[in-house]
Amino acid sequence: MLLIKCPYCEEERPEIEFSYAGEAHIVRPTDPSKMDDTAWAEYLFIRDNTRGVHYERWYHIHGCARFFNAVRDTISDKFIMTYKMGLPRPADVEIAKVKE
Amino acid sequence: MLSEKTGIHLSIDQGVRLAPILTNETEIGGVRLIDEQVRYSLRFKPEDIAAVRKASQLDLPANIGMSSIKGGQLVLRLGPDEWLLISDLSRALALKQTFATLSSKFTCSVVDISHRNLGFIVHGENAENILNTGCPLDLSLHVFPVGKCTRTVYENTEIILLRKAEHEFHVEVWRSFAPYLSRFFETSVTDKAQIRMGARDDK
Ligand SMILES: [Zn+2]
Repeated sequence: MLLIKCPYCEEERPEIEFSYAGEAHIVRPTDPSKMDDTAWAEYLFIRDNTRGVHYERWYHIHGCARFFNAVRDTISDKFIMTYKMGLPRPADVEIAKVKE
Repeated sequence: MLSEKTGIHLSIDQGVRLAPILTNETEIGGVRLIDEQVRYSLRFKPEDIAAVRKASQLDLPANIGMSSIKGGQLVLRLGPDEWLLISDLSRALALKQTFATLSSKFTCSVVDISHRNLGFIVHGENAENILNTGCPLDLSLHVFPVGKCTRTVYENTEIILLRKAEHEFHVEVWRSFAPYLSRFFETSVTDKAQIRMGARDDK
């Protein structure tokens, strides 16, 4: 069973309680009407599909019902860290520290 | 079914018929349906908790996953800004007045969900095992102590779980999921499931 630490519940909980919610830190354009279709489509659909350290959103839907962010290695499927919504993307040095 | 206490017609079987075991009178192997209750979903800003507690006189637990149990009234903190209040019917009117005052003073959401949920009590020496047949959480007493509560799943059905005593759990479920849940409870209290959980010695 894969355990995920919810930063709000502050507990490791079974994966079945969570729902994946795509790549994190994608900022919604402030004025979509000024964008052309290509740029808008890129914002909507184009993602990095990173191999390795990936920043992503998760939703503790069957728990505290909160979205939060996680750093996960897509090769090993290991969660490196999770953090509350609204916090900045952790720097590489922070991630390296946790990995050790 | 017609509620004798409030005169409200409770159609528990909306679209689905309850299994015959789903009556308040019968009990199967430590699982029983709870009588009609008053339920409110409360949402407000976490920073207002002290003020809301003072204004409402409600015993609002300060930590996520904790609850307060006082008389016939339970308050569960489910998330950063979400509380669930469950109470017996005698306090219905008083609560209504409390929430009318609250909503005039605070930015909050108070929703009466009394008839959206049904509650079960799972009790007895085997309570933990019955729940663990479908719930992936570690329910040992030191990890999930008395008073702890959370939203979680039981056989893919969303439930709210509260430990009221060492061998007594309160399970809340959306009404339309109740027949499904009760059938799984029924299965898990049979010998077969208990043996699978290692709760009984196989003869
Ligand atoms: Zn959570």
